Amino acid sequence: MALARAERLSFWYPDATAPALDDVSLELEPGELVLCLGASGSGKSTLLRAFAGLVPHFHGGRFAGRVEVGALDTRRARPSQLAGIVASVFQDPEEQVVLNGVEAEVAFGLENVGTAPRVIAARAQEALGSVGAAHLAGRSTSALSGGELQRVCLASALALRPRLLLLDEPTSQLDPDGADEFLGLVDGLDTAVLIAEQRPARVLDRADRVLFLEAGRIVLDAPREEALRWLARHRPAFLGRELLPEDEPERGDIVCRLSAVSYSYGARVAVSRVDLELRRGEVVALVGPNGSGKTTIAKLASGLLEPAEGRVERRGRAAYLSQDPGRYLVRERCDEEVALGVGGDLARARRALARVDLEPYAHRHPRDLSSGERERLALACVLVTEPDLLVLDEPTRGVDPERKEALAELLRADAPRRGTLVVTHDTSFARSVADRTVALGPVRELVYA
Amino acid sequence: MSPGPASALLAALATAALLADHIASVAAIAALLLAVCVRAGRRSRPYLLGILVTSGSVFLLTPLVESVGSHVLWTGPIVPVIGALDVTREEVSYAATQALRLASVSLAFAVYALLLDHDRLVRAARFARRSVLAVALATRLVPTLERDAAGMLEALRGRGVTIAGARGYARLASPLLSGSLERGLNLAEAMEARGYGRGGSTRAPRAPWTAIDRIALAASAAIAVGGWLWL
Repeated sequence: MALARAERLSFWYPDATAPALDDVSLELEPGELVLCLGASGSGKSTLLRAFAGLVPHFHGGRFAGRVEVGALDTRRARPSQLAGIVASVFQDPEEQVVLNGVEAEVAFGLENVGTAPRVIAARAQEALGSVGAAHLAGRSTSALSGGELQRVCLASALALRPRLLLLDEPTSQLDPDGADEFLGLVDGLDTAVLIAEQRPARVLDRADRVLFLEAGRIVLDAPREEALRWLARHRPAFLGRELLPEDEPERGDIVCRLSAVSYSYGARVAVSRVDLELRRGEVVALVGPNGSGKTTIAKLASGLLEPAEGRVERRGRAAYLSQDPGRYLVRERCDEEVALGVGGDLARARRALARVDLEPYAHRHPRDLSSGERERLALACVLVTEPDLLVLDEPTRGVDPERKEALAELLRADAPRRGTLVVTHDTSFARSVADRTVALGPVRELVYA
Repeated sequence: MSPGPASALLAALATAALLADHIASVAAIAALLLAVCVRAGRRSRPYLLGILVTSGSVFLLTPLVESVGSHVLWTGPIVPVIGALDVTREEVSYAATQALRLASVSLAFAVYALLLDHDRLVRAARFARRSVLAVALATRLVPTLERDAAGMLEALRGRGVTIAGARGYARLASPLLSGSLERGLNLAEAMEARGYGRGGSTRAPRAPWTAIDRIALAASAAIAVGGWLWL
């Protein structure tokens, strides 16, 4: 018997004319790992929220059809009643942390669902250990990096020992080893897992079944092998194909050089004696595990941080794209937001929006955009300044594989005009876009590939 | 000290500052709380700045709108509606007391926000746990807004935009507020998905109170009563 079931489910968000989910029917079996794919805005997150009961209880809107989880009808059972049977991890870990201490945070859900007090601490410790975060137990959540926070959120979900685990891009901030480790753990659970991913290659190796959503409809629901064939035929970008840079770049003048640069946050050394050179015409990917100092190097290169030791030389204008697109939501309209960096020149702003396929959204409020669209808006905000040095920090978070290909093509096309440094955990994207990869090891030595 | 008795002590000091009549008593309470607050280091700066601005405003404006006392220190013009802008010694003393009271209450909150373990406070709450959690989440607003503002300024610098002047910074208030509302909504959704609000919740066992905790509770009551009767 199915653990969870959606029958002819359609859902419209309040004030929306088009449905976010359109006549969706599917069943989830115990122990099954189901991967949910689709472009940004195709309804993946909404589907996950429907199984958690958050749609319609939390979001309102119009709901048709039926969703059952563990024999509970989500129209009658509130999300809090489903908690424990279902556990969710959402896209942005920073926006789901309730308490200050890591242990208290993991225990929060256990307390809510009425776990016996004497086992709460042990269950919290066990869950932290299972995601490789036991060492974070005594830390404050506000002092953790994005990747560490994501592990804590995953531990909070696993601590509940749910029968259905709903994961919305759970590895978006984890380094490749961390992502592998986590997916290996998820794969070994008895729990049914529904996982939405924009970096699908790793999950595809482990998934039992694959769904593909398009404009709220399921256009594919098939076992892995059949799904791989379908994806190869219809949506090859989702298979993680790599469009390797075609030509050796023509390297021009040096736009940025870091010489023996060190930087510390208080007593914590972030980077130590790093050398890096970036020339006009080349795209360099900076990769490495969580906490290895990638973002610090990116900020040092773009001039947002001054080195404690060593020297940074830059020629021309530098622009930096932060890994949090929420920081690019200052103005009331998308075109005005982009124009902010070019003295209010709306014509240039619209051209930049067109380059990231957001021109139709020029008059929309930036907060009305989805996470993937916000990422593209943020990119337009820095591209419009036409910098000599472009530094992008995790530019593919929440961006679907087809958009990633478009972004790689865009960066490649613009490459001769500037030096580009891309900080990313997305190894497939790094290979697609970069001429050179710089890998940061745990001791911050640079390895050139 | 456990956070429960510690917050009772802070509440008692704030109450005593409000009830005390003598300016020296209120000043002593404010000084004590300030000494504790600065132990938080750099994190205390936005709180101290806010307290300086609000208490300073109260001190400067109160003599202009009050009309008490006969020892005139300064005679100003007559303003329609408000009347004569005279400043007397009694008004200055009253303004100083009011400003110190406000500073004491604000400093007590700052110490609560900066130095207490809110997780333990939420766990220790025997009743009104929802309210305690709501207050704990609300106290995160200041550091979160500070972090958001720093991030937003950094992102603006990263695209070549420099914010200058009070007007420039004031323009960031609206996006910061809408960002915090959006975050609040997302947090509420995550909390509901984690079972918050359903019946039958439990609590992880908490450490028993020590002798110091009991003394602090008794001292809290004594301070509040003392503030009312003698200070």
